[in-house]
Amino acid sequence: MQRPRSSQHRSMSFVIRGIRTTSLLALSLTFALLARSQSENARASALIREGQGALDAGDFSRAIHDFENARQLAPDNADVNRGLVLSYLQAGRLADAQRIAESAVGRWPHDARLQHWLGLVYFKEGHNQNALQALQRSESLSPNGPDIHFDIALVYLAENQYPQAADELENAIKLNPNAALPHILLGRAYQNTNRTVKAIEQFRAALRADPNVPLGHYHVGFALASLGRDQEAIAEYQKEALRSPDNPSVLYQLGHCELATSEWQSAIMHLKKATQLDPKNADARYDLGKALLLEGDAAAAVLTLRQAAALKPESPEPHYLLARALEKIGDKEQSQHELQIFADLKKAQPATGGMATGPIQ
Amino acid sequence: MAHPRWPSLLVSAAMLTAACLLVFFPQRSPAHQQTHRSTAPASTSKGKGLASSPISFIDIAKTAGIDFHLTCGDPEKRYIMESMCGGVAVLDYDNDGWMDIFLVDGSTLADQREGKCHTGKLYHNDHDGTFTDVTAKSGISHCGWGFGVAVGDYDNDGWEDLHVTYLDGAILYHNNHDGTFTDVTAKAGVGNIGRWGTSAAFGDYDNDGFLDLYVANYVDLDLQHLPEFGQGLFCQYRQIPVSCGPRGLKGGRDRLYHNNGDGTFTDVTEKLNIDPNSYYGLGVVWLDYDLDGCLDLYVSDDSTPSMLYHGDCKGGFTEVGVKAGVAYSADGREQAGMGVDSADYDNDGWPDIVKTNFSDDSNNLFHNDHTGEFTDLAGPADFGPVSIPFLGFGVKFLDIDNTGWKDLFVANGHVNPQVDQYSFGVTYAERPLLFRNLGKGKFEEIGFKSGSALAHRYVGRGAATADFFNEGREDLLVSVLDGPPLLLQNQSRKQGHWLRIKTVGTRSNRDGFGARVEVKAGGFTQVAEVRTNSSFESASDPRLHFGLGSANLVDAIVVHWPSGTMDRIGPQRTDQQLVIEEGKGVVTPQPMAPRTASSHAN
Repeated sequence: MQRPRSSQHRSMSFVIRGIRTTSLLALSLTFALLARSQSENARASALIREGQGALDAGDFSRAIHDFENARQLAPDNADVNRGLVLSYLQAGRLADAQRIAESAVGRWPHDARLQHWLGLVYFKEGHNQNALQALQRSESLSPNGPDIHFDIALVYLAENQYPQAADELENAIKLNPNAALPHILLGRAYQNTNRTVKAIEQFRAALRADPNVPLGHYHVGFALASLGRDQEAIAEYQKEALRSPDNPSVLYQLGHCELATSEWQSAIMHLKKATQLDPKNADARYDLGKALLLEGDAAAAVLTLRQAAALKPESPEPHYLLARALEKIGDKEQSQHELQIFADLKKAQPATGGMATGPIQ
Repeated sequence: MAHPRWPSLLVSAAMLTAACLLVFFPQRSPAHQQTHRSTAPASTSKGKGLASSPISFIDIAKTAGIDFHLTCGDPEKRYIMESMCGGVAVLDYDNDGWMDIFLVDGSTLADQREGKCHTGKLYHNDHDGTFTDVTAKSGISHCGWGFGVAVGDYDNDGWEDLHVTYLDGAILYHNNHDGTFTDVTAKAGVGNIGRWGTSAAFGDYDNDGFLDLYVANYVDLDLQHLPEFGQGLFCQYRQIPVSCGPRGLKGGRDRLYHNNGDGTFTDVTEKLNIDPNSYYGLGVVWLDYDLDGCLDLYVSDDSTPSMLYHGDCKGGFTEVGVKAGVAYSADGREQAGMGVDSADYDNDGWPDIVKTNFSDDSNNLFHNDHTGEFTDLAGPADFGPVSIPFLGFGVKFLDIDNTGWKDLFVANGHVNPQVDQYSFGVTYAERPLLFRNLGKGKFEEIGFKSGSALAHRYVGRGAATADFFNEGREDLLVSVLDGPPLLLQNQSRKQGHWLRIKTVGTRSNRDGFGARVEVKAGGFTQVAEVRTNSSFESASDPRLHFGLGSANLVDAIVVHWPSGTMDRIGPQRTDQQLVIEEGKGVVTPQPMAPRTASSHAN
């Protein structure tokens, strides 16, 4: 027996109507969702722009606020995650920065910038090995950025790995020769690997790139002094002292060079000021005592050298000079006593240096 | 979606960190960089005003017939003894009045194993600006790895004898008066057996009229068990592998041999408590620093305190180096003492001391304070700072232009050829330094403008002074590692008057070593002590040379002999040599012939 056709038709129509209704509903929902998504994306984009503006302005709290909100709206947006990592990093919220960065790096492992910033987070946390790994991953993803080489160099420098740091800084400078700071740091790396002549070239390059680079003349002076070119070093330190008249390190190094060139009165003046600004600088006080002794004021030298010895009790040198100063003022008994202390401290010192042996760095 | 801009932020993040690092990076004070300062290239001042200086030296070694080549190990210098050769001696072995030359040769490990002989060479001064190699007939035939040489008439027979140090002992050659020498080591008992001697020096410390002998010993080295190149804490220089030592190696105890007066010596090292800590001895000079009439002794030690032995006039010594301020640097640090010499550079009547050191450290100019103490015035004298980039070995006071003020010569050269592979600013070969005494305690370094020979770089070691051509000018003889020596003839245009004195002791030792001679001329008095040995492993002209400036008359001469006797001598002409015999005064005035073309080998 055949079923009546109308019944089949009705049934089909119902289904079709149902489908149409569902489709319309789904379509409506989709449109609604799309509209909301577009609205959220627009809102997220706006927050990203605002966050970036806050970062540019140095308002890191505001930047964090913006990027956190943006991340609520668009958690899978790479730019949002980058912005939040950078905001936390700049604000010093390193644990948060690390959490977001590690998560984002897991999501976007080939994002060079995220790897870079994760490296910076680790570095600021003192996790240098992790930092180095992250930065090197970033470098492999984007080898032509000058900043990545620079930042890897920072990690090496912090680890006292000067030759490796020098390599990275050389790369950074090739990519951006006009930045002063990489030249300064490369100079430091050279200086600490005894390539002093090359260090001077770098310090001078830094000053050419930026005549006001912090401590630029100080570094040139230090390198020149380590070559025994004390007069030239003094000229550099004097330039630095004009810019930083109350920097005790600059004044100490200036006084030290003046002492070496027998400009005792100037040395005394600068070393006195250095010790006033930094009373715990035993080296400056020692040099001051030495200058006073050479200038003929043995009594003042005794006083100053006693202070130097007290500041650095493990050091034999102040006692040696103190013995000589005491001898000059006729206190032979105390002089002998100081020589004995000197001898005892000498014995306690490890044997380093010598004819064919340089310092163990 | 808009893409954010990041670059400025990234840079600032990095820069922020960098700024912190700048402040907190460990950067050593130069005050504590004594042993690791880099050095400036020797060429920095090369060529400046070469033609304008009145001081000029030319190297005439080759044309003068000095065909010597100093062998000292392999070029890589993998072992410490390969860097320390270079003794040179100036002596008049045949008493013809002209200074002859003896050059000590080293060896190599391969030559040692194969028995290949290195004897050193004796050159006779032919009086015409040339020298003749007379080694073959001289009897100087010991084969070994030689280092230093001392000259003195140990048996008072009027003929200079030779003592040569080796890696494993020493040889004393007695002068037979006929141009030959005989090895008398065994009989004399100065063999320094099994020890690596460097510098040695004759001096009569107990004033008994016979020259005693001090031998500085460096390291007790076993050639069968040499320390491995670059392996270990003390085999590094600026973090690069180099030859090991001396730290980490056993020091060799110096020896003091007392002359018994019968051709034999007695080793009194232990009895007199000499070098009880077996420091690494490299330089020796006898002097009477406190003018008490008895010889004292200064020994420069490598990497360990240098020693000043005060003679008590009774045959004993007290070591006073630390108290006197000559054991350490002015900061109380051990230095790598190499060569030493003594003279009264400021004409205050008291002998001062000069000592060379490693690169990255200042050479010392120990001024005699007349109180038994010395003050290192190398800095104020402008002698120290310029020396910092150089590794000094031989050092001699001399009066290059006869002004009456003692100038200074320093032979330089690094010990590690490996430094040339790095941009330390340190080079293996270095130019010598020549310091002109400006008076008032100041010096000026003029080597770079004193002729091309002094502007070049060498691996300099031994250095000696002499008036080789008897023309009233002090010349220089310098050994060069793995190369020919320099015979630097003084051709300076402007020269003052001069006087040369040869002392002959009678009650005192025949050479008159230790005699203090005062020469008054031109309104001031100069003082000098008679000796040959000083510098690094070397012996110089024993005749005292006094520059007199414009003075054309010597007003008075006083000789304080080691025996305690004194000779006072009245006015004398300038520009001549006087032979002064103890108790007799001037026995042979010898006016010098004016300089002639034949006296120039070049």
